[in-house]
Amino acid sequence: MRNTSMKRSWNGMIGRALLLGATIMAVAGEESRAENWPGWRGPDRNGVSRDTGVPLNWSADSNVAWKTPLPGSGISNPVIFDDRVFVTASDGKNLVNLHVICLERDTGRIRWHQRLWGTAPTRYHGNKSSMASPSPVTDGRHVWAFFGTGDVFCFESAGGRMIWHRSLSGEYGTIENRFATSSSPLLYRDTILLQVDHYGDSYLVALDRKTGSNRWKVDRPGRWLSWSSPQLIRLKDGRHEFIVCGSQRVESFDPGTGRALWTAGEMRRECIPTPLFIDGRLYVVSGPSGPSMRIRPGGTGDVTKTHVEWKNPRGSPFVPSAIVVGKRYYLVTDGGIATCLDTETGKSVWQKRFGGGFTASPVAAGDRIYWVNESGVTLVIRGGGDRYEELAKNTIGESVFASPAISQGRFFLRTTRHLVCLKGASGKSP
Amino acid sequence: MSWTRVLALGLVVGLTTGLLGPVASAEEIGDDLAAVARTGPGGRGSIAARKATDRLARNGLELLPRLLEAMDTDNIVAANWYRIVYEQITRRELARDPVPDFPVSLLKTYITNPKRQGRVRRLVLDLVERLEPGTTASLIPGLLADPEFRDDAVAAALARGDRAKQAGRNREASVEYRKAFRAARNSGQIGTAADRLKAVGREVSVVAHMGFVTNWFLLGPFDAPGTTGFELVLPPEKQVAAGVDLAATYTGKGGGRIKWTRHHSGDRFGQSNLNGAIAAVKEAVGYAYTEVISPRKQSVQIRCGADDNITIWLNGQRVLRRLQWLNGTRLDRFRTTVTLKKGRNRMLVKVCQGPQHKNPAVPNNWSLQLRICDAGGGSVGVTSGLPAVTEKNAAVSRESVR
Repeated sequence: MRNTSMKRSWNGMIGRALLLGATIMAVAGEESRAENWPGWRGPDRNGVSRDTGVPLNWSADSNVAWKTPLPGSGISNPVIFDDRVFVTASDGKNLVNLHVICLERDTGRIRWHQRLWGTAPTRYHGNKSSMASPSPVTDGRHVWAFFGTGDVFCFESAGGRMIWHRSLSGEYGTIENRFATSSSPLLYRDTILLQVDHYGDSYLVALDRKTGSNRWKVDRPGRWLSWSSPQLIRLKDGRHEFIVCGSQRVESFDPGTGRALWTAGEMRRECIPTPLFIDGRLYVVSGPSGPSMRIRPGGTGDVTKTHVEWKNPRGSPFVPSAIVVGKRYYLVTDGGIATCLDTETGKSVWQKRFGGGFTASPVAAGDRIYWVNESGVTLVIRGGGDRYEELAKNTIGESVFASPAISQGRFFLRTTRHLVCLKGASGKSP
Repeated sequence: MSWTRVLALGLVVGLTTGLLGPVASAEEIGDDLAAVARTGPGGRGSIAARKATDRLARNGLELLPRLLEAMDTDNIVAANWYRIVYEQITRRELARDPVPDFPVSLLKTYITNPKRQGRVRRLVLDLVERLEPGTTASLIPGLLADPEFRDDAVAAALARGDRAKQAGRNREASVEYRKAFRAARNSGQIGTAADRLKAVGREVSVVAHMGFVTNWFLLGPFDAPGTTGFELVLPPEKQVAAGVDLAATYTGKGGGRIKWTRHHSGDRFGQSNLNGAIAAVKEAVGYAYTEVISPRKQSVQIRCGADDNITIWLNGQRVLRRLQWLNGTRLDRFRTTVTLKKGRNRMLVKVCQGPQHKNPAVPNNWSLQLRICDAGGGSVGVTSGLPAVTEKNAAVSRESVR
């Protein structure tokens, strides 16, 4: 038996140390006023940052604050919270080795790096996916990472100490997927919500943030394969809905219980883009060549005929998610055809061939929209207006499949080999 | 430096150096390793595992033998907790100057033991390679039958064969290619080895090596408007529990009579083109039936792909049902583990054919690929129990196709 007094002494010391650490973190948190990018597609999960002064121009040699090599592959977007950047990757035989890495935001130096095994690697697309396709999510104190192998991990963000690990594929069966799962988790109150749609038995699950245990799990028989990340929306009356785009339909659930609320059809099979929630309206992109739709959330049962305000098949992508700036809704197809629709009517405003292939989803800051193609060329356009206006075109010199991130005036670009932090021309973050 | 940073630095230094406490006893280590082993589904045991791994990571290289023993587990959750300890200890020890003596001999024994978990053995090989560069190149060629390092060893054998062939030593090349083919379980390597062998005058059967089922009776097309086929329950499904009636005829798509016809796929990877073997139609359902003889009762994997959708019944029981329209037939897309009884086993397979793709230029594939193998993808010795193909049993009734 372990010596009890020694254990008590240890507990006391560790307890005091943790208390001190928490105090330091709390003080640091109060001083920080920066906009974070805490998960997939940023603070509101729609690709938009409220930051100003985000860099407009760069190249492989200019306005690069730092550039850090990353192991293996991954298209998860970097996640930034205060002075830390988190990124995931996978490598090795069948990409079964998983990486969760924390870097210093200001220098790119690696603070901690956890190497783990995945339970059940699946098929994946050579460049466009890996076991590290879902983006991690953080609340600043912890970071949660979900992988295509069906594993979910929770780490302390400061030092990388593992808090828990769930093997969902070990418990509920291998995620049968031909391009690897890419659905990114989201945080709701004290749970982490996941959408696991695949060829086999699809499901939604809410895990306790602290322990990883199930709060609820909803099986989705017949829902089939999709790669879309779910969305959390807050209605005018304060209620939240958990929105899930899957093959054939959009569905809404109570995020606290998993109870089904409403469904809207007319989606194609195999949905990838993440739904957007802007000014009380949902914008969803169907599967390949399906329509974009604007939906008024709320209601019960099948709301296809009552809540779909418009739909337009023009310009729908397979992979990249859409973005809304002002009263304009923007899309780019995988082949590089960009479309701007009016958010109120769904009617086309302009269409333009950007050039290059697109996997990454666009991001925006202010009225600037950043589109990164697979060759690593970032096109910056002015958003919100009636005309197409190009502001800049920047080449990083490496292929890019991951969606970028914006935080604290800096632009984070994950190439196939590096994580690159780009700064404004002044050399300082605004 | 601000006072907060000074305090934080002091905290980190304190926790990682002077406050670490005494080295744990063997009994305490055993308790901690056991605590990690108890982790499992639902996040079970995480709190205890966290405390245990914190303590375990304070140990040095003396922990490695016990740690590696513990890491050799099917429990992936426990394995990852152990790995965190392993990474901390090895990183810390490798950073010392001079690097202390690792138990290299023990590590090599661990690497070459095929009964150990492959993931741990590969991790340990990476470590030994750092300690003794060249270890991988010396160990891998001897691991052709190894479940973890097989692909690496096959690649090495193919490379040796290529070098021999380039030097004009075809006999030596043939020996190396043969070794590679026998050992290979990866379809790419199997195909490459078969090609290389053919180039030096040796023919091998990829179908037999991978366990493809290429002998079938086919029935169809049944009418299935739109995408209704997956849910339709047609006569062969109704009969499956009692046994499929191969002599029966049915009303097919277009109103004509359809019957079971004997089919053999000559494809290198066992794929059957149902557009050719049944009929080039759309919005239809077809069935494939086979009987295989197993030399013993055994657990096997059925690995399959089909366009569109696939449902499989084995000895009257449904064992797989997957919906996937217009995705093409991909090798081993779906897998299920089943038990074959000794002797004759009956298998019915349903494959749908959907509507024409919205782009008329896209051909409407209708196909099936299925193999029976062990968990590693190797042949399990089953043979076809169907009668040989004859002119009579292979005759397709064309009257139904209008």
